[in-house]
Amino acid sequence: MRIVFLGVGALGSTAAMWCRELSATLAFVDFDKVESKNLKAQAFVKQSLGKNKAEALKAQLLNFYGIKAEAFGVRVTSENVAQLLKDATLAVDCFDNAESRKVVSTQAREQGLPLVHAAISGDGTFGLVRWDERFTPDAEDAAGQATCEGGEHLPMIGLLSATLARTIQDFVEKQQRRDSMVSLASVTVTS
Amino acid sequence: MAVLNITYGGLSADYPIELDHVVGDADIKRIALEVVRAGEVPGLHLANLPANAFDGYVVDRLQNGQRLYLRPKVPFGA
Repeated sequence: MRIVFLGVGALGSTAAMWCRELSATLAFVDFDKVESKNLKAQAFVKQSLGKNKAEALKAQLLNFYGIKAEAFGVRVTSENVAQLLKDATLAVDCFDNAESRKVVSTQAREQGLPLVHAAISGDGTFGLVRWDERFTPDAEDAAGQATCEGGEHLPMIGLLSATLARTIQDFVEKQQRRDSMVSLASVTVTS
Repeated sequence: MAVLNITYGGLSADYPIELDHVVGDADIKRIALEVVRAGEVPGLHLANLPANAFDGYVVDRLQNGQRLYLRPKVPFGA
């Protein structure tokens, strides 16, 4: 089994850490680099500053836990998405924009690939884990809208990432596809 | 009987709602505003909820419209 994480920012990097003991090969896709502000809300450590996020996460899993993973430090486009998802068993979308989410959805539907999305509100009070068949990406209100970069959102990011990791685990082990809604007060299974 | 789930300010609660016709997003938001202000949603009573509280919110319709979710937008993987 091969699980491809598309976008390894706050949700993707944190969920990937919780998935490290699954019987699956983890692959990470992200074009971005680790900046110092990312250390507040993402699973990166100081030694990863300046590195590509996908490569950094791969290195951290190997160095800290002896887990081998794959990394692709590229921006996902309609031209390369088929190649990136070619041998995937499951795709996990943690992108921060609707356009990239749509590119992944289109490809996943075309190849019949299971795809689960994780998404969080800009104020860090609410999030969703939802399978592609019931997911419509929300657009930003404005380009460059503030995201959950500050450390104050870390508990919510942890809660949502853990919910995503559990959803992935249930799929890997039991082929279950559960949706969840995560607020500050509760995690609610909705499907 | 449908169930409308309302999420606001990090809290989330259900409100049973009788719908005998297709109701648009604006109506759902208006109903939510009224019932939250009136204290009819257990665990989510905000008497001074601003009139624009649900502007920019999204309405999800699942389970053949029997489960409605009024929630904030979630554009980010952060």
